[in-house]
Amino acid sequence: MREVAVVSFAQSPCVPADREHDMAELVQPVVREALDAAGLDRDDVDFFASGSHDFFEGRTFSYIESLDAVGAWPPISESHVEMDAAWAFAEAWTWLQLGEGDVALVYGIGRGSLAVDLDQVMPAQLDPYLLAPLRPHRDALAGLQACAMVDAGLTSERHLAEVVARCLGAAIANPAAQRSGRVRVDDLLAKPYVAAPLREHDVAPQGDAAAVVVLAAGTAATRPAGRPAWVRGLDHRMETHYPGVRDLTRAGSAGMAAARAAEMAGFSAAEAEVAELHTEYSHQEPLLVTALGLGGAEVNPSGGPLAGRPATATGLVRIGEAARRIMDGGVGRAVAHATNGPALQHNLVCLLAAAPS
Amino acid sequence: MTLPEPVTTMAGPLRMDYTYVAGAGRSVFLRGLAGRRLLARRCPGCSQVYVPAPEMCSRCLRPVGPPFELAGRGAVSTFCVVNFPFPGQVHEPPYVVAHIRLDGADTRLMHLVREVAPERVHIGMRVEPVWVPDEELAASATSIRHYRPVWPADA
Amino acid sequence: MSAALAVVGVGQSRQAKRREVTIGALVREAVDAALADAELGFADIDAVVLSKTPDLFDGVMNPELYLADAMGAVGLPVTRVFTGGSVGGHAAIFGAHLVAAGLARRVLVVAYSKESEGNFTWALSRGLPFSAHLGAGAGGHFAPVIREYIRRSRAPEHIGWKVVVNHRGNATRNPYAHIRRAGITLAEVRDSPMLWDPIRYLESCPSSDGSCAVVITGAELAARAPRPPAWIHGMAWRTETGHFAGRDEVNPRAGRDCAAEAYRQAGIADPAREIDVAELYIPYSWYEPMWLENVGLAEEHRGWRLVDDDRTAFGGDLPVNPSGGVLAGNPTGATGLLRFAEAALQVRGLAGEHQVDGARRAVGHAMGGASQFHALWVVGSEVPA
Repeated sequence: MREVAVVSFAQSPCVPADREHDMAELVQPVVREALDAAGLDRDDVDFFASGSHDFFEGRTFSYIESLDAVGAWPPISESHVEMDAAWAFAEAWTWLQLGEGDVALVYGIGRGSLAVDLDQVMPAQLDPYLLAPLRPHRDALAGLQACAMVDAGLTSERHLAEVVARCLGAAIANPAAQRSGRVRVDDLLAKPYVAAPLREHDVAPQGDAAAVVVLAAGTAATRPAGRPAWVRGLDHRMETHYPGVRDLTRAGSAGMAAARAAEMAGFSAAEAEVAELHTEYSHQEPLLVTALGLGGAEVNPSGGPLAGRPATATGLVRIGEAARRIMDGGVGRAVAHATNGPALQHNLVCLLAAAPS
Repeated sequence: MTLPEPVTTMAGPLRMDYTYVAGAGRSVFLRGLAGRRLLARRCPGCSQVYVPAPEMCSRCLRPVGPPFELAGRGAVSTFCVVNFPFPGQVHEPPYVVAHIRLDGADTRLMHLVREVAPERVHIGMRVEPVWVPDEELAASATSIRHYRPVWPADA
Repeated sequence: MSAALAVVGVGQSRQAKRREVTIGALVREAVDAALADAELGFADIDAVVLSKTPDLFDGVMNPELYLADAMGAVGLPVTRVFTGGSVGGHAAIFGAHLVAAGLARRVLVVAYSKESEGNFTWALSRGLPFSAHLGAGAGGHFAPVIREYIRRSRAPEHIGWKVVVNHRGNATRNPYAHIRRAGITLAEVRDSPMLWDPIRYLESCPSSDGSCAVVITGAELAARAPRPPAWIHGMAWRTETGHFAGRDEVNPRAGRDCAAEAYRQAGIADPAREIDVAELYIPYSWYEPMWLENVGLAEEHRGWRLVDDDRTAFGGDLPVNPSGGVLAGNPTGATGLLRFAEAALQVRGLAGEHQVDGARRAVGHAMGGASQFHALWVVGSEVPA
């Protein structure tokens, strides 16, 4: 495998609703910032990959507008996934393996605020014959999963509140966080349920943001100043769709992806010092900590999605935040996780390190 | 016992409501329309004049310059005649949808061309905007109801 | 590309309004057929790439989730690509990349559309509240571009009709095609209703349901394939932004650059001579001469002469869309992959009744957006040098 590293990461602040900027206006300054931080120009980029989804944007072919932000002229080598941009990261990393170019720019845009009511939208992710007609509200499946976790003794409502309190506290130091603050666990527990045992704060708040990660291969990765975060392993796996068939207290696909990534990396998530997990719900943290086999990693030092969830940019932000801890010189090994679909059906794991293989 | 009829179809109606954000660049143009002004902006990098203008030139990736008003007339650059009905259609076919190059601009905008028989529309035809009355003006492209030919005497 | 890559299995469903099957079953038809063609089971596949056009066409969001079981994707990495109408091509190329990168030994690329679930023109006409209510639909976008091509090239008006006669005749030799009408004449096309002047009804693609799947692998495993592989000689994708002054949408540079890169990889200096058959993304008849020029199979403004001289007819020296192409069936999410797959079938000698004799090198091409996204591959019956 070719040595590929993250050489910069930038994001716009995750805000509850950006009513000023269109897609290109949101993405472009973040592209500029990421390229500047990497000491690169748009013309240095050999491949562009992006992730976003029409159903958050509210129209067909919505991602085309974002191309105006990357300057697709002269014509560029480019692709797009209608998924979380973490999968665009995977595509860019794959592309860099080919040796046709050395620099890839990955961008994700996610605007959770445009849909007036996500209960209208999210059921569309389900089997259209057997599940979507039940019109579960947006957090219903997560509620089932959290309930299963509590019933199995794998977590408790108090533990969930502790996760939230810790994340919101950590987010104080994150200027991009949508939500942050010092909260008391007992105050959290006093709030009403939205999907028992989940309360409003157990649900990652939808927001709007764009994120950009620049990847470079081989010597291109060492040219820009600073420490690159080497992508030592990356894998993703999917489970069966039907929640009734799955053990919702486990995410076997996350464990499988972690194991495959570890084979590539020569170290596992257990040895990561920092873990950025795509936890759309607080109960998914204890679930993933077990599934990924985390050791003593600090989980979601950025605050994680519980401090702000910019739809299809959320997973890419996890990769960027994990990479940033390495680029800042703080840690030697980090793991990032991204998810697709309700109740952790599809999971991506990325292992990053300060040193190449 | 007779078996029930198999289910062959099921209706899965979807309704999704969204808020759309015009964006900074587009807002300048739309506010211009509310005042019956066609605002264009020039990119200082490549000197291309955009109407409607984005906030940044999509070639140079730099902010475009301040808005200035165009007279409003232009020429049909290319067009088609929509000839069949479909759900959600606003106008009754046949009607002409054209790419119009406004005098002073380098980009084209798409709009209807009416007040002329479709078969008389041609590439290069001079057109001018028909604005809605005051009470219908809004920050929307619908402030221009359509374009119509500028007959030789007025061109 | 250091090690050779090949298509070893191709499957497709019938294209039609497929109201009698679920989306999963429609996808499974192509998947089963591709695996059967390659004589493989699900356990032999290491990764899945799914191609699909906007989710609003059938109302299923992130369909890779629902389709996990239908695609045999449980336990595998899955990626759903979307790049406008070129998505099938982009997905095939990304699938090939996974093999080339050593991340998968065999990749299943799956593409589908089940547009009968919704209304295609409605879905495309969802305008922004502050936009003009033009209601032009897909053809309304392409018709003005065609008009400009006709003006530039001075092509006579019957060229579009001739393309229709060729493609629709070809479709009668393709059991999978949606529209199979024998004996269509030029007069019939000329007299069919005008939809978006100058595009007439018979010159337009239908809206179809359909699925397609291919299995891509590397040289070592391709050598074990039961039927001849289609070797990938060159592949490329290019995108250009849509909104800038001076953009040429008739002969977009992204398309020219894309084809040139694929030919360069394939060592092709004179594509018009070295390519035996082309499956091009032609949703409206006039796009045949336009794309012939754009992908370097004809000189600028002369593409229409190839049509007029019957060179692109089934019996000509450069048959275009022997499968009947997009005019015969357009499941938009699959259409690009179908072009790539049909090119592969030709050089494998497995195109059945629509096999072009002696086809050794073929082009598969896909386009998306307002001619912004382009994907193209060159496949051949021999291992690339």
